[in-house]
Formats: sequence, structure tokens, C-alpha cells
Amino acid sequence: MTHIEKQIQDLTERLGYIEDIFGNRENANIALLRSKLNDFKAQLSSLDSGQLKRQLSSLGDLFLFLENKLEKELTPMDKVRIVRHPQRICLKDILENVYDNYTEIGGKDEYSIDPSMIIARAYITRKVGKKTYKQPVMVMGQEKGHGEEFRNGGSVKPWGNAKALEYMKVAETENIPIHTYIFTPGAFPIEDYPGAAQQIAKNIYVMAGLKVPVVAVFSEGGSGGAEAIGLADTRIMLSHGYYSVISPEGAAAIEGRLRDGQRSTPELVERCARQLKISAKDNLEMGYVDRILQEPPLGARAENFDFFKKLRHEVILATDEIVLSVRGMKLFRALALRKLSNPNIYVRWSLSPKSRERLTWQRYQKFMAMSRKFLLDNTSILEKSFSRINDYSWSVYAFLRYEFLGRHQRKITHLAEDVQGEVQALFGKMLSKGSRIISKIPGLKKEKKEACELTTLSSWESGISWDEHCRYISPQANKDRTVTCPNSDKFGCLDLWAPDLFSDFAGVCSYCGHHFPMEYEWYLFNVFDPRSIREFNSKIESSNPLSFDGLDIKLEQAKKSSGHKSACMTFEASIKGIRVVVAMLMARFRGGSVGVAEGEKFIRAAETARRKHLPFFAYIHGTAGIRIQEGTSGVIQMPRCTLAVRRYLELGGLYLVLYDTNSYAGPVASFLGCSPYQFAVRSANIGFAGPGVIRETTGQDIQPHYHKAFMTLSRGHIQGIWDRREIRNNLHQALMTMGGEFLYFR
Amino acid sequence: MKRNKVLIANRGEIALRIMQACLDLDVEFTCVYTREDSNSEHCTEALKKGGEKALYRISSYQDPNELFAVADASGCTAVHPGYGFFAEDFRFARRVEQRSKKLSFIGPSWKVIQELGDKINTKRLARKLEVPTVPGSDKPIFDDLEAEELASSLFSFQKEMGVEQPVILVKASAGGGGMGIEEVGDLDRFRTVLRRIKSYARRQFRDEGVLIEQRIFDFNHLEVQILGDHHGGVVHFGTRNCTVQSSGRQKRIEVAPGFDPENISYAFDASRVLSDITEYSLRMAREVGYDSVGTWEWIISPTGHPFLMEVNTRIQVENGVSAIISRIRGHEVNLIREQIRVGLGSRLGYQQKDIVFKGMGIEYRILAEDPDNNFIPWVGRIENFSWPDHPWLRMYTHVPVNRPYDIPTEFDPNLALGIVWGENLDQAKRRGKMFLDKLVLEGFNPSGEPLKSNVDFLRRNTDKLLVF
Amino acid sequence: MIDITSLLEEIKKAPYKELTVFTPHSGRIEFALKEAGTTVHGASGVWNEKPGTLLAYLTREGNRKPVYAPEKGELVMFHDIDDHQFVQAGTPLLKIRHFLTKQEVIDIILKKALHLFLAPEKGRYYFVSAIDTKLKAKGLGHVNIRQGDEVLIISRMKRETVLVYDGPGGIIYTTYFNSSDSVEVGSPLLGVCPNNQVEEIKEVVARIQSGWEEKQ
Repeated sequence: MTHIEKQIQDLTERLGYIEDIFGNRENANIALLRSKLNDFKAQLSSLDSGQLKRQLSSLGDLFLFLENKLEKELTPMDKVRIVRHPQRICLKDILENVYDNYTEIGGKDEYSIDPSMIIARAYITRKVGKKTYKQPVMVMGQEKGHGEEFRNGGSVKPWGNAKALEYMKVAETENIPIHTYIFTPGAFPIEDYPGAAQQIAKNIYVMAGLKVPVVAVFSEGGSGGAEAIGLADTRIMLSHGYYSVISPEGAAAIEGRLRDGQRSTPELVERCARQLKISAKDNLEMGYVDRILQEPPLGARAENFDFFKKLRHEVILATDEIVLSVRGMKLFRALALRKLSNPNIYVRWSLSPKSRERLTWQRYQKFMAMSRKFLLDNTSILEKSFSRINDYSWSVYAFLRYEFLGRHQRKITHLAEDVQGEVQALFGKMLSKGSRIISKIPGLKKEKKEACELTTLSSWESGISWDEHCRYISPQANKDRTVTCPNSDKFGCLDLWAPDLFSDFAGVCSYCGHHFPMEYEWYLFNVFDPRSIREFNSKIESSNPLSFDGLDIKLEQAKKSSGHKSACMTFEASIKGIRVVVAMLMARFRGGSVGVAEGEKFIRAAETARRKHLPFFAYIHGTAGIRIQEGTSGVIQMPRCTLAVRRYLELGGLYLVLYDTNSYAGPVASFLGCSPYQFAVRSANIGFAGPGVIRETTGQDIQPHYHKAFMTLSRGHIQGIWDRREIRNNLHQALMTMGGEFLYFR
Repeated sequence: MKRNKVLIANRGEIALRIMQACLDLDVEFTCVYTREDSNSEHCTEALKKGGEKALYRISSYQDPNELFAVADASGCTAVHPGYGFFAEDFRFARRVEQRSKKLSFIGPSWKVIQELGDKINTKRLARKLEVPTVPGSDKPIFDDLEAEELASSLFSFQKEMGVEQPVILVKASAGGGGMGIEEVGDLDRFRTVLRRIKSYARRQFRDEGVLIEQRIFDFNHLEVQILGDHHGGVVHFGTRNCTVQSSGRQKRIEVAPGFDPENISYAFDASRVLSDITEYSLRMAREVGYDSVGTWEWIISPTGHPFLMEVNTRIQVENGVSAIISRIRGHEVNLIREQIRVGLGSRLGYQQKDIVFKGMGIEYRILAEDPDNNFIPWVGRIENFSWPDHPWLRMYTHVPVNRPYDIPTEFDPNLALGIVWGENLDQAKRRGKMFLDKLVLEGFNPSGEPLKSNVDFLRRNTDKLLVF
Repeated sequence: MIDITSLLEEIKKAPYKELTVFTPHSGRIEFALKEAGTTVHGASGVWNEKPGTLLAYLTREGNRKPVYAPEKGELVMFHDIDDHQFVQAGTPLLKIRHFLTKQEVIDIILKKALHLFLAPEKGRYYFVSAIDTKLKAKGLGHVNIRQGDEVLIISRMKRETVLVYDGPGGIIYTTYFNSSDSVEVGSPLLGVCPNNQVEEIKEVVARIQSGWEEKQ
């Protein structure tokens, strides 16, 4: 191939790329390029070499000029096409060009537990003066591999994320920073152990407390898959990347209420992409990424070597900054670093124990601050300040009660127990003899009374006596009709009369035990002690941070029909006298989806439980996932809530999750899935993606009971299944057995 | 009486008797049957007496939805549940009343069924009214220590009462029908049994509560027949003795009245016992506002102490034996007819003093079974079934006499009820034996073996009736 | 050994079976299909999760339940029932002509050709462990049994009895029961092929496999 031919081919490819990026949209600039190139190709044989050279160079200039021009016309959807393009830079390119050397861990092409996740130990060499430093880094991220089939488009399976988690822990042990690169359209929705959702939840939970600096670089940040390795101290976004709660096509399918098989129009997809505010600029403005790394026009491709240099500079700088920000003597060097922007100042990347503590606290605060500006809180100033004072006094009380007194009391109790044990061992026999003698003396009198009790009426309080007006009657019980149990073919269940089924039977088939869905109110009335529920933060409202079309109306309707301001209700209540803090997600409010308000309420509930030293119980009546219309503001609730839960747990709390009806996606893949004690009501379906989404993303049908509680239990995702009629007893027992000796708090 | 139509939600002989009662009262009826039961005489009779539209095929007698669908389709205004199936199901009775197309339930109101259907509740109600009950707990016990204390005091209580080898029963309080019950003869074994029953109850009923009661041996089983209306009237129709039972505690012979103090000597004042249990039963019936036929079941200890066992809130198989000795203004009583009448809202129209008892009644339950071999049911085809009629005999059966009949295996194995009446016990017994001697019941099973019946067992037991 | 060829000819004369669809319970009927001649299909999907063709709705006590076609075939006749009429349980609704598939033809022929070991009483049946392990290892068509072998266990009312095989020795060619379902008296349990006929049977099966045309 001659030099000329190569140049022509190069230009043809560039045109092809541009056409790919702009989809089917007609554009004068592209048409111009196409015709100029075709003209040139047509005249090719009639031109001499001088003309060829000249024309080629002017054609090249035209390409450059128009590429720059087209760059300004890119729509969000074009950017989605850019990051998905096979020519897009991939992690392998970055490992080759950004790091000075690397060893891939646990995989060679398709020979890997999951070829869509790459992990590598790499190092960066820095020369300072005459000295050369090699700084080790753990690099991990999704690999799209320029369209290689086995990379699965960077859609990571649960075991790929598990592998990543394993090496995050290795990095922590080795005290080296982690660089993650996010190139994923989303995680692969498969439930086999360790399970898509549950594994992502574990990753987020561990990252929430990782004691080494983490830098994340976002190219394609597709929701849950991105969060699996995205909880970082510094989040850099490539200028042509996207970071979103859902793919624009997915959002369009939901917005257009499409049934399977139907395709949404390109216009709708385009509109969704724009409304979801998925671009780097949007995410920077909203505060979900820390900075943007500018890419060459129309996006970085494998041959943009300058770009890799910039990326290298950026990640080194980010790591340096994180390290310096938690070091004791940070001020001077950090300033110098930023001002001079000189990457050659050497910063050691390992952290001292003190700095590690500061690092996780800093990360906690960073994420807690996110999305708060979108919070719609209608609590009046007076109420707010009152609750603040209340919170503060609880903190003081908790400190005195548990930290100060508690510690001493524990010591005294332990001592007392030891002494008692000794005494028992020594005098046990003597004592028991004595007690028998003693018990005989008043015996006569007692037996008379007993004989009487054997034949006459005894006194008896039969459990809780429910007030008539305190009973909950399901609206489903008000219709004179019968209901067929879905298991009737298998177990021969007869049709059930709705008024019996939804009242006496608590929505449970009396033949086979199948659980029909019940409203969340049923639980409020039948699980907690009567009149013990005290709601808080009820005035925090679900809002529309992205001004997404139509969401305002939908929210208004949901608020009206449910009587709640958000899908999350938080309250204190008691179960057989034990106080607990409860966060409940209600399926009736926008499918129980989680957005800014729900996340914030959940976090505040966890904080209340922490302050008051109470067990924290998440009752998930149902959740469809993150509220997609809130975009990244929704997604960010995954790490935020998980951080709050982790903080609560680390300080000794008991966190229980109970799933009912359907629980899917983001919440399960983060703050719910990370609980060590997850239970499900028999009616529950639990998973990462619903059957429709699975069919759409994997092209496979799934078996009818794929997400049922029993399947979930046998996969090891949850710890037990509870009969609805026994929730109250089971919950009480769980609190008694799992809770520690001091108020269920270590 | 306004036009009523009764859905007979049952099968076999009780369906036939209800049908006859409806005809007597000039009330229309609808019968149901299932595939297995299409040869039963109640189907033939329904078609004969009620015509084509009086018989509906349903998928199961146990499916309430079928019954309601048929009730609506055939324009019924009331449901008679018979015995078994839905007779004591308060939810069924409630649905009858609360569904959008309301019907009358021919039986007690659902609240009464619920109240008296709960054994603990019944026992507590009895104790509240100072009606004697089996010594032991009257509430579910959850605490092991409390249970043990109660067990030990129950042992010493029995010793004091002169029981030489006291035994107690440990029952799952949520159980019933003989499931989850164990006997304990000495206190050392109590703890193991308690554990076992508790874990059984937890698995089976999701409720760990247990009841602990005295086990009474060698008792007689007596019943009091009660009838009440919707307007506060309550009367009784005497007592019955149901002591002759199969090894599986199923009644085989019932005698009315319950004892015969004039001709048999008892170790206690038998007429006093009869009047006591009648009084106690009426006391409870009045307290709950009992508004249909019902039976109070009693255990009489060998020393003549009565204990209330349970209340059956339904018409019973053996209702005819009380009816045959009862006269109101000179007429023989039909309790099913009375039940339908009050069920449709009528007043009793008579008082206790109008009810006169005359003579003795014995009811024989005739079954194809092997009394020498644990009363195992015999299954096969009945070829010949006949008996001579007598004015003192009432015979109730759903087995056709003019054609062979395959005994269905899905249902209660009762084939026929023969009720004889006599001036006194002696005559009744003689007539009973005469009836049994002349009864022809023959057939073969698929392997050609001849039919086994309990007729000999019934005859053998006739001599000892009412002796205690 | 029976005459397979003539049997096959006989089946070919009427290569279908007719199924009558009955109402499972009483209720008001609404036909979804009204024309004879309509093609219907049975449940499908990997897990049989997609129901067959909707034939009618049966409404009882406010519960409108679909009645689906049990198998693939052609709707040949409707019984004389008015739409929206109340029907009793077990009322015949319509008839479906189902054309036999290869497997069904093979089953018919095998039932005639093999020695069938019948259920002596109603109950659940399963293999004794010795035979069970052999079957799991070798598969159907490879395990020998002889007269007098203990072969099955009957489980009835929680009572278990061992059942001895009485019939000509041979290999267990096919089974007709499922250990989770109760088997009626006289239903076949096993199809046993005498050793000297194995080859013939195999040949017949192969012939049907290649020669039978399934009608759609």
C-alpha cells in the first residue's frame, strides 16, 4: 500500500466514523466531506503526484476543520454512540499508553473468569531530580476491547465484579492506590451466585471504606455497572463520555411504555438522552464528577497519543491530590502542585494509619454533600431547628449512655458475670439443694390454688387485643369475588374468596401458602405495636431535579394518591416493646423508586438509628430501582446510602432488610444488598433486572420463577424467607438473637 | 312462609333427608353431586322429586365457589350445609351472609359457629358459666415452666380425686381431630413430650401453645340435643348415649335417652346427671344466643362426673334417634325440618313443656367395614340390599336398592342408618336385633371376596347398651 | 410380537386423536373462538410458560378464568352450548382433533409391543434404589430386569411396600409414571422389552422416526 492509498483509507475511515457517530442524521458538513472525498477518489487516476499531494492535504485540512465544527454539534446521543464505537479507546489502550508497565491479573483475552473486567498491577515511573520512583497502582475496569465479542461490550458478570472486589482488598493490604476505568453500558443482569445486584452491593460497601486512594475515570458510566467500581475519591470524566442511570434506549422504552419487541423512535431516545443530562458537562455541574478531561474532537480513539499523555498527567495529579489532602502537612504541597501543575513533584502514595482514617471520612463527607442541593425539604425552619436540637441532645445522651456509661457498665457487668459464674461453680450444688427445701415449705397453700385453677376460669390476655378501629382492612377485601391461586394447577388450590383471603388469611393461600401481594399498610398495622409508629422527615418531597418532561405531573399524582411526599417513609416504631428505626420503600409511590428525597430520607433514618443507638430496619414493600427521571442524581443515592449504612454498621448497629413484592435494581445493588441480614417475605421477587430488561439486554428468556424468593435464597443472596403471618414474631426473634446484649448495638 | 329455595350443599343420606324435609315444608330445593357420586340415590331422588332443574353437577363438594355459583344459577335463597363439609365452617357461613347476593344459612349464625368452634373459647365460656369441664388448662400455655407446674398439679389433683394411675393429655392448642395429642403417664416423661408437641405445633400450626388436660378413662359419651330460633327461643330434645364406637372413635350406635335409670342400676344418680347436663347445655346455649340445632357433647366419668367436651354447631348424623322419641302435641318430631324452619326465620312455636319424650330409640350405623380388623373400610360393589319395613323403623340410606352400587372411596363410609323405636329399652333392643337379623347386605369386591359389614358388631353390642 | 406394519397402517388411516374439552367447574361460559376449523395450539415455551390458545372464559363468583387449548390441533366441533350460558362442572364444550406426533405414534406402538407392567393399586411409585442408580447411570433401554426382581416401591398413605416384577424378563424400555404423581390402578408403570425383541423394536422406532409425517 502506498503512502497515498493509506492516507485515502485513513480519510475514508474518518468519514465512516463520523457517519457512525451522527447516526442517520443528515448534515451538510458530512455531506460536503462525503462528496469531496468521492470527487477526489473519482479523479484519482487523472491526477499527477503533485496534485494528489496538494488535494490530499487540503482534504485533510477540510476534515480537521469540519471535525472541529461537527464537534460543536454533538448531541448527547451522539456521545453515547462515541463511547460505544469500536474505535473508542479501551482499557487495554490505556494500560499500554498511560502506565509504564503492567501485568494483567487473572485473564488473557477470552481466558478469564470474566473477560469484560480487566485487573492489572501497573506502575508509573517518575523522575525527580536524578532519582527514579516507580509508583505501583492497582488498575481495574471494564474492557470493551474494540468490539471483541467475548468482552461482552464491557457488561460485567457478577463474578467479574467479585474479582475486582478481591483486588481492591489486595490493593488495600498493599497500601497502593486504585485507578478504575469505567467503560460499561451496565452490569450483566444474571442472578447466578454471587448475583449481579448483590455483588455490586458488596463492591460499593467495601469501596465505601477502602483505606487507599481511589481515582475513577468515566468513559461510559452505565448505572449499576459503573457504581461497582465507581465510588472514588476523585471522579474524572472524559469529555465525550456519559454517566447515566440507564441507557437512553432503556429510558425511552420505559417512557414510551413499550411492550417487548416494540422499538422506540430515535426521536424519543434522543429526547431521553438529552433530558437525562448524561454528559460530562451536566454531571460536573451537578457535582457528581470532579472534573472533565477534554478529549480530541469527536472523541478519543486509540491513535490519539496526546490524549493518553493528558490522561496520565490527570490521574497522577488526582492521586497526588488525594494523598496530599489527607496528609498532615498538606497545605503547602497541594498548593504548589496545583499552581505549578508540575507532575514531577514526587508524592509518596502509601498512607499512614491516621491518613487512612481521614481518607474514608473525607470520602463519606464528599458523597454526603452530593445531590443535597436538589433536595426539596418543606420542613419549616422552626421544625428544622427543633429537630437539630433534638438530634444534638440525642447525640449527647447517646454519648453519655453508650460511650461513657456503657463502657463502664459493660465492664462491671462482665465482671459481675465472671464472679457469678465462679460462685455458681463453687456453691452450685449447695444452692440447688437449698432451693428445693425452701420451695417445699409454702407448697401446701400453692397446690390448693392450683387445683382451683384446673377446673375454673383462669385469667388470660390473649396476645395483643387490637382495637376495632385500629385494624387494617385491605381494599382488596371489599370485593365479593374469588381469586385463583397461581399454584392451583400444581397443588389443586381452590379459588379463594377475596374478603377471606385479604383479611383473615393475610393474603396467603390457605391451601399452598402462596403469598398474594398486600399493601404496605397491612404491615404497619400487623408488624409493629399498635400506635407505636412515629414518622419523621415526612416533609421531604420527591422532586424533579432534571426537570424531566412529565415527571412533575406523575409525582403530583403519586403524592395525591398515596398521601405521602416520597416513596420512602421513615419512622420509629416498636415491636413487642423494642424500639426500631424503620425506612420503608412503598411500591405504590412511583414503584418505590429511589431518588434524591428517598435517598436522603434513608440516610437520615440510618443516622437517627445511629444517634439513638437503635436497630435499623429497612422494610422494602417494593422498589423498581432508581428513579430514572432523576438521572445521575438518582444513581448517586446508591453510594450515598451505602456509605451511611456502612457508617452505622461500623459503629455497631444492627441493620435488617426485609423484601416484599418486587425489589429490583439500584437499591438492591447497593444499600439493601449490602446488609448481612436480608430476609424476604414469601411473595418477594428480588433481582437486578426484571424479566423484560433481561430479555432486552441479553436476548434470553428467563424461566418463570427466576426472581422468586426461594430461588434467591438458594442462590445465597438472602438469609431467609418469612411467612407474612409470622413477620412480627420473626422480626422480634431476629432482633433478640442478632442484636447484642446492649440494645442491639455492639 | 314466603317462597324459599334451599341449596342442599351435601350428599348421601343427609341430602335425602334434607330434601324430604323441604318437601314436607313445601320449600323448593336444589341438589348437587360430583362425578364419583353420580350413582348415589340422592341424585335419582332429586330428579324424581324436583325435576331436571333440581340437580347440578359440581367439581367438588369441598369447593364453596361451586356451591355459590349453583345457588345463584338456580335461584336459591338459602343454603343447608348438612353435616361435615361446610357445616361448621364459620367462614362459609359468613360468606353466605356477607356476599353481595345474600342467602340464609340454615345453621347457627357465623359468630356462634366461630365462638363455639374454638375449643379454648368454649371451655372458657363453660367455666365462666360454672359448667364443668375437663380439669386442666383453659388457655394455651407457651412457657415450659408453667406447663410443667400445671402438669404436676394435674397429677396430684387426680391422685386426690382417687385416680390410681393418673394420665394427662398434652395437646397442641391450635390442633384438632386427634392430631398433635399425646398421653403422659408420669411426670419424668413430660418434658420430652412437651417438646415434641410444641415443635409439631410450631411446624403444623405456626403456634407453639399447648393445652394440658386430665385423661379420663372408661367414660360414657353423652350428648344433649339443643334447638334455638332467631328470636331467643331455646329448647332441648333430650340426651343421647354414643358410647359404642369403633376403634377410631367413630360412633356406631346411638341410644336416646342417654341413660335408663328405671331399668338399669348405675353407680351414681343417673337421672340427676341427665338433668344436669341438659341444664348446663341450655345455660350455654342461652348465653351465646344459640339459634339452630346443636349438640353439646359430654364425657361422664365412671363416678358420674360430667365434663363438657365440645359443642357441635350443626345437625348431627344421629339427630333421628332423638326425634323418634320426641313428640310435640302428639306428633313425632323431625329435627331437620325444625332446623330449616328456624333457619328461614320462623319462631319455634312451642315451649319446652310442649315436648314430650316417649320410649327408647336406637340408631345403628351400617357400614361396609371389618370390625375385627381395626374397622378397615371394605370397598367394592353392593349387589343386594334390603330390609323389611316396620312402623317402628326409620331407614335412611343413599344406597340404591334396585341396582348394584359401587361404594365410592372419596367420602364418609356410612351406608345406612337404621333407627328403631320401642316402648322401653328391652323392646327397642329386641326390635333392633330383629332388624339386624333380617337385614340383607351382600356384595363383592374386584377380587371376588364377599362384602364385610359391621352388622354382627352392632348385634353384639346391642345387649350391653346403656349399661355403665 | 405384534404386526407393526398393519398397526401403523391403521393409525395412518386416522392419524389423530380427538380431545374433548370439559368445563373444570361450573360458571358462565364465554367462547373466545366460535368457528370450527380454527387451528389451536397447546402450552409452549421452554418451561411451558406460554399458555395454549384461549378457547373460552369461564366466570364463577366474579372470577373470570381462561380455558386454554390443551394440545395442538384443529377445532372440529362445538357442543350445543349458548354463549354466556351457565354451565355445570364437567360439561363438554368442544372437540379438538389433535394430529399425532412422531413421539405419540411411537408411544402407541410401544404400548402395544412392549410388555406393560401395570400398577396393582393406586399410589405413588418409585424405583428401588438398586434399579434407580442403574437407570441413572445407563439410561432407559439398557437396564435388565427378570421375573421376581424387586423393582418398584409403592408409597400409599405413608405406607411403603416393595413391588416384585412379574412378567417376562427384558430391558426397561420406557417408564410411564412420575414419582411425584399418584398412579391409578391398572395404569402402566413400565414398558419392558424382552431381550430378543430389542432389535425389532428399535427398528420400528427408527422407521416411524423417518417415515411418519407430522401434520401441522
